[in-house]
Amino acid sequence: MAVYEFRFPELGEGLHEGRIEKWLVKPGDEVKEDDVLAEVENDKAVVELPSPVDGKVLNILVEAGATATVGDVIITFEVAGEGNVSATAADVKTAAVEQAGLESATANVDTARSPVPAGAGASGGATAAPAPSAGAATAAAGSAQAAASGLSHAREVLATPGVRKLARELGIDITQVPGTGPNGKITREDVETFHRQGGVPAQAAGAAAAGAKAEEDAAAGAAKSIGAAGADAGEAALEERVPLPTIRKIIAQAMAKSKYTAPHVTVMDEANVTELVALRQELKPIAAERGVKVTYLPFIVKAMVAALRQFPTLNATYDEERQELVIKHYYHIGIATDTERGLVVPVVRNADRKNMWTIASEIEDLAARARSNKLGPAEMKGSTISITNIGSAGGMFFTPIINYPELAILGVGRITERPIMKDGQVVGAHMMALSLSFDHRMIDGALAQRFINELKRLLENPRLLLMEV
Amino acid sequence: MVVGEFSEDIDVLVVGAGPGGYVAAIRAAQLGKSVTIVDKAELGGVCLNRGCIPSKALITAAHQYEAAKSSPIPGITSTATLDFAKVQEWKQSVVDKMTGGVKTLLKGNKVRVVQGEVFFTGPNEVRVLSEYEGQRFRFKDCILATGSRPIELKALPYGKRVLSSTEALALDHVPESLIVVGGGYIGIELGQTYAKFGSKVTIVEGTGSILPTFDAQLTRMVVRNLKKYNVDIHTNAFAQGVEETENGITLTFKVGDEEKRVTAEYVLVTVGRRPNTDELSLDAAGVQLTEKGMVQVDHQGRTSNPHIFAIGDIVPGPALAHKASYEGKVAAEVIAGHNSAVDYRCIPAVVFSDPEIATVGLSEEEAKQQYGEIAVGRFPYAANGRAVSLGADGFVKLIADKQSGLLVGAQVTGAEASNLIAELGLAIEMSATLEDIALTIHAHPTLGEMVMEAADVALGSPIHIVAR
Repeated sequence: MAVYEFRFPELGEGLHEGRIEKWLVKPGDEVKEDDVLAEVENDKAVVELPSPVDGKVLNILVEAGATATVGDVIITFEVAGEGNVSATAADVKTAAVEQAGLESATANVDTARSPVPAGAGASGGATAAPAPSAGAATAAAGSAQAAASGLSHAREVLATPGVRKLARELGIDITQVPGTGPNGKITREDVETFHRQGGVPAQAAGAAAAGAKAEEDAAAGAAKSIGAAGADAGEAALEERVPLPTIRKIIAQAMAKSKYTAPHVTVMDEANVTELVALRQELKPIAAERGVKVTYLPFIVKAMVAALRQFPTLNATYDEERQELVIKHYYHIGIATDTERGLVVPVVRNADRKNMWTIASEIEDLAARARSNKLGPAEMKGSTISITNIGSAGGMFFTPIINYPELAILGVGRITERPIMKDGQVVGAHMMALSLSFDHRMIDGALAQRFINELKRLLENPRLLLMEV
Repeated sequence: MVVGEFSEDIDVLVVGAGPGGYVAAIRAAQLGKSVTIVDKAELGGVCLNRGCIPSKALITAAHQYEAAKSSPIPGITSTATLDFAKVQEWKQSVVDKMTGGVKTLLKGNKVRVVQGEVFFTGPNEVRVLSEYEGQRFRFKDCILATGSRPIELKALPYGKRVLSSTEALALDHVPESLIVVGGGYIGIELGQTYAKFGSKVTIVEGTGSILPTFDAQLTRMVVRNLKKYNVDIHTNAFAQGVEETENGITLTFKVGDEEKRVTAEYVLVTVGRRPNTDELSLDAAGVQLTEKGMVQVDHQGRTSNPHIFAIGDIVPGPALAHKASYEGKVAAEVIAGHNSAVDYRCIPAVVFSDPEIATVGLSEEEAKQQYGEIAVGRFPYAANGRAVSLGADGFVKLIADKQSGLLVGAQVTGAEASNLIAELGLAIEMSATLEDIALTIHAHPTLGEMVMEAADVALGSPIHIVAR
């Protein structure tokens, strides 16, 4: 038997870290090669992490919820034959776990029904039901698992069942809560205080605040500085610090990079889509028969592809290094989609070669899977230009941020029915708000406006779209 | 005419109506879920119908019979007769009362009860087969609580004269003689019961002692008591096979190299129980099992299928009804969106032998390993007024961390050990110290005083025994 260390692999191009969403194995579990070990969030998707070997899980080194960097050892296995680390180093670390694991393995069916004290070895409780079987061994195994919040800490901390439940409900890792009761017992108040302080151990927070203040106000005298520290602590107690999920970090990085790199300009215009609204009404029953939900997006995608053919500069990227404009003669349209976890941009590939039905059902499928978190990383890559539709939520004009390194993004606002002047007459019309942000390094305002004019022409006369299908 | 089966959409499906399943169903219903519970047999599962409850009824009957036959208190004499069929009738009435209670509770909580066998046909769909019909359910969440059944030994297949605990509880007469293969708690409880009713009992145990998961200190009195009833105990003995004769059955077993034979009316095999996970087509639901056929679950009871939970005897840990009930409540709460978890410091274990044995938390050995120096307080029944007036013998032992005084384990053997252990489990969960227990007033004269006194012993200042 030997130990195999599994290092966090690169889950996609250029992805050097990922957040372990959830472990699907625990120490003591037998796994086969390719069994799923964990769900890892990366690049806006949750992917499954397969086991590299057959073996038994010894130790989980990165807790669920934590971020692992490529190359970190995240889990160790006991494997037949040779492992990938010298056994001695690992032995010390995992001996306890191994013992606990062995006990569960040898738990005999004969005693399965015996009323063993929750402690006796044969209970097989070393894994899921944390019987205090192996004594210290279980404690060690426990702290290895302790990581994932919500696991049983019954044996590691002194707290009544009610207090342990409170900690779980508040999403607090009870092992981090300093206990003020006898024997370090954690009281209800301890958990509540810890929660108010945003999950920072009480003394540590106090000390840090006091320390920082003391330096600042060194001259102002000790008494005053303590008072000030107290006030700070009071405000801190009213603040909440929420660790960011990976997807939010990625969105933050991407937005900042785009906005700081590409000088954004946004042109805004309105299209009279009265005919398009009527056409869609006509199509609705047919679409229903086909089981497709037709929104305005497929029309906009088609119109956009047609306009891009005329103004290819917008379907391009800027190669800064070589000072070249890279024009794409394929049309992959990114569709910004709002999900519970944040913004993701699944891609309708080769939109020029697909008919409207296909695009409609593809958008529906991508959006649904984006919301249920089932998109693969490849499905969110490679767009050449993007559309962001704020209209479904209600707004009209806005200044969308380009999905860098693309050069433009079309923001679609709400369609409103309102009176307009036409041939000297006041008539009712359905007006669609359009906002096009573009990278002014490559695209000038006149070009952008001509592009949006073409877009308008097609959306206002949906029959023209026929020629583009 | 077969027109195809339609799936009915339901909220929560509970498979198995034992002490895990029905508790889970009630809790889920309390939390606003619409719950359907399916069992292939009776409500209450093995516990109520073929386990805990009927065995306790027979144990009580045997105890009464024994007391009536020869009163332990001088001055009372009586002649006892035994009508075993009547005893069985009464036992059944106890069982019926309990299962009727479960039925009422389920109904009161608006849980729908379906009778039939469950087969998974997909990750969220089951087929339920009852005698004449089948129906399909598509569930949002499911709790598996299918329990366990007696293990059958290849060499001793169940039959007319080879019984499992189920048949042994339902015998219509007291057998003249009975061989018990397997000296675990089921074997000891039933063996001792029939010995009291008058059977000649032989116990054949594979390990070095009966009740091998308990300390020798705890089992000593049971062994002594068994001998009083002329029970033969063979340890380190391995059953080889049986041979049926016209009016009996002969068991061959080996102790070391020596082959022995015993003949009796019945052989009762109680070598353990196996999880009922093999006939559910769980693979169709994507529920992974361990090599031993146990269901792998996380700390909330969730299986590899995130909408299927498993509790009780089919998940790792001791196969005990109270553990199943606890896990059932957790699973139901998780389904209802609560962040509950299987999070206990200890599970009590009880043997209804004579005298009773009950333990909770760590043994002395385990406590030493975990805490180094420990404090142990042992208080004898012989020094407790109520115990002596009951004619009961035994002891209460508390095990604590020496440094902090924190209670980490407790063991009781003697009358009512099964009830005394509850306080000690609570003390452990509440992180009570020896002092906390010693300073809690316990009513006099009760057996419970011994808990307080044992804490005093561990602290070195007992009142009712002389400190060494």
